[in-house]
Amino acid sequence: MLVDDDVTHYWRFFLSGTLTTLWISWLALMLGGVIGAVVAHMRISRAAPLRTVAVLYTEFFRSIPPLMLFFGCYYGVSYALGWNLNPFSSATLALTLTASSLMAEVVRSGIESVGTGQWLAATASGMRPLQVMRYVVWPQALRVCLPPATGVYISTLKDSSVASVIGYIELTRSGLLVRETTGSSFDVFVIIAVIYFVINYGLSLCGGALERRFRIVH
Amino acid sequence: MYQFNLVATTSYMSLLPGAVLSTIWLSLLGIGLSLIVGVAGALCRTSTSWPLRLLGGVYVEVLRNIPLLIVIYLVYFGLAQMGLRIDGFHSALIALTLNAGAYMTEVIRGGLAAIGSGQYEAARSQAMTPVQVYRYVVFPQVFRIIYAPFGNLCIGIVLGSALASIVGVEEVTSWMHTVGSSSFRYLEAFLMAGAVYLVLAQGINLLRIGTGRWLLSHSPSAGRQ
Repeated sequence: MLVDDDVTHYWRFFLSGTLTTLWISWLALMLGGVIGAVVAHMRISRAAPLRTVAVLYTEFFRSIPPLMLFFGCYYGVSYALGWNLNPFSSATLALTLTASSLMAEVVRSGIESVGTGQWLAATASGMRPLQVMRYVVWPQALRVCLPPATGVYISTLKDSSVASVIGYIELTRSGLLVRETTGSSFDVFVIIAVIYFVINYGLSLCGGALERRFRIVH
Repeated sequence: MYQFNLVATTSYMSLLPGAVLSTIWLSLLGIGLSLIVGVAGALCRTSTSWPLRLLGGVYVEVLRNIPLLIVIYLVYFGLAQMGLRIDGFHSALIALTLNAGAYMTEVIRGGLAAIGSGQYEAARSQAMTPVQVYRYVVFPQVFRIIYAPFGNLCIGIVLGSALASIVGVEEVTSWMHTVGSSSFRYLEAFLMAGAVYLVLAQGINLLRIGTGRWLLSHSPSAGRQ
């Protein structure tokens, strides 16, 4: 027998694919969280041009399919700018852009959940704007942001499956490779689907637990 | 040095209208079918029989936690291995419907949950038929709650339809890939295709905002304020 066509014998492959998927999504979530926080602060800024840029940013990435972003970040960047991004960098860039636009909305809702009365009170106590953010707004906003941020992680994890089309070997691509080797499509995709389900369902349970833990009782 | 040249894509422009129509048609079918699935799913989830509730719950959780791409592959490649061959367009449509149907179920369930059981009883006691109860009492209230998430979901379906290009459907994303891979004008093709998606998504967004304004000016409490 030249080819081992028992799908379960490729479990190491599925495992490394799963870890890669978790890693790249986490990386994109963290980078996207930083960019998203900047965009969110631009969105609530007093300067109209900053607000406009922030709205255009979030609306743009909300209106472009992730698949197109992956193509754009892989082929578009390499042809237009001459940078030879490898699939990992392109996939991280595309996922970060998508995640950042989602995180911008999450962070904004977190900041807006802190009532204006608290801003006024903090300012009246002689705090400088940065101190108001550091000691009053951010600690409270974080509690509101964490549960929906797990939702963004789930969404980023699901989008990361699209990275398979630019040749990045994550869970979906691993599955496609096993499928090409063993020739069994159904088993492979069911295994992949179960892995995604277990991870994402677990994450959504964590999100629910966080939400209950951080619920603000009025 | 790369020279930006939008004119280089003109020879492919004749293919674009068909691609746009394909994206719109797939999205419209996806929205319509997932709405049907969503209503059925929401009725299951709010049903009094527990097997139906369990079925609805499992459906929603499974489909919401699996990437759309995997569902497309399962329908296209997986079912083909089982002997059921479905072409790319219909595979994508089935997968899109299953995926969006799960989200639609939750949206509609959220709308139905906001209506207290007292309203059904009150409407029934006014001798309304079940159809009338839904037409005059339930639907107008549910619509006010769900139109905003429904709009977002429609945008999600349009964006999700881009994945149909992976199983060979000729739509806007595959047009972009065709132009890019044959003329190396990826950036220009990206901008053109991106513009199409922007117009479609923001068009839905404007419709959603317009609906909100209309509902506000026609709200039952508007005259009393």
